Amino acid sequence: MMNFVWLLAVETAEAVEEGGGLFDLDATLPLMAVQFVLLAVALNVLFYKPLGKVLDERDGYISSNQVDAAERLAKAEQIAKQYQQELAETRRQAQTVIAEAQEEAQKIAAQTVATAQQEAQAQREQVQRELDEQKNQAMATLEQQVDGLSQQILDKLLGSLAA
Amino acid sequence: MLMIHPLVLAKLEVGQHLYWQLGGLKLHGQVFLTSWFVIGALLLVSFLATRNIQRVPSGLQNFMEYALEFIRDLAKNQIGEKEYRPWVPFVGTLFLFIFVSNWSGALIPWKLIHLPSGELAAPTNDINTTVALALLTSLAYFYAGFSNRGLGYFAKYIEPTPILLPINILEDFTKPLSLSFRLFGNILADELVVAVLVLLVPLFVPLPVMVLGLFTSAIQALIFATLAAAYIGEAIEGHGGEEHG
Repeated sequence: MMNFVWLLAVETAEAVEEGGGLFDLDATLPLMAVQFVLLAVALNVLFYKPLGKVLDERDGYISSNQVDAAERLAKAEQIAKQYQQELAETRRQAQTVIAEAQEEAQKIAAQTVATAQQEAQAQREQVQRELDEQKNQAMATLEQQVDGLSQQILDKLLGSLAA
Repeated sequence: MLMIHPLVLAKLEVGQHLYWQLGGLKLHGQVFLTSWFVIGALLLVSFLATRNIQRVPSGLQNFMEYALEFIRDLAKNQIGEKEYRPWVPFVGTLFLFIFVSNWSGALIPWKLIHLPSGELAAPTNDINTTVALALLTSLAYFYAGFSNRGLGYFAKYIEPTPILLPINILEDFTKPLSLSFRLFGNILADELVVAVLVLLVPLFVPLPVMVLGLFTSAIQALIFATLAAAYIGEAIEGHGGEEHG
């Protein structure tokens, strides 16, 4: 009944009497098959179905979440774009307002300078006129005096001649 | 009978069985003992993993989900996106049962438990187990073929040409034969190599071979499940036309 292996010589149990041996097929085979089928059924109930359901549900959950997230991302991008547009618009408006204000200020400054110059001109002209008038007066007075003096000189000369 | 050779270092039993009688039938008791252990382990882990299912998995649930996804991918690749779902339990149980059997044979020191006759080892190193699994695979792919294509399934025997009819019929016999003997031979040979090395050098030297044994055990489980799924897929889709790996 006993087989021995010594060193590398493996003696199989082919020669064993009354059954046994490596290729001993018997009722173990069908019973093992039945057992295996029962195991498959049990594992189906206990393992494949519940965990498979969880896997499928999770797949669904993840894909729906992904779709949702993609939608939200698109929305956020749209809002960001809109905001950018509004920002650009506002900047342009601000630019125009500044330009207008500068223009107006320049106009006002030019006007003020012009009026001031006109006033100064007018004052200068007036002063000139007064100066001219006084000069004329002085000349007239001087002429009178010259006339008087020349009369006196003439009288003196004529008086001395007559005398 | 007990001829003790002077060079015998320890004894190694091959082809010894613990016989149980059930009615007039003979059973290999050691195969059933370890297979019950394997089945119990699978059921226990499945139960623990699905006891408290969360949307965000952790721990055991996470691990078993990984296993399930692996099995699903395997079945999907071989059978196809449309038809693979009903076959996941069969292919998956093949893979899990063979894988856990092989690794239990390689990792658990069964031989410390002494039986009156024979010794405990992986259930897959008994030809009965592997033949049972292979025949179930044959039944599965015949069922898949008939349920999907009706009697048109017989058309595959004369495809692509009727000359190949004998070879096509022969294939139905070689498929379970190669499946069962591949698994049986690999696991038995691995256990024998480890046992012989342990006899020669008890320490450290057998370790690389044991690691290699773990690797081949896993590969054999994968091969068996992949081939079973491929046969089923072939039966569903018909010969030729669709390419298979």
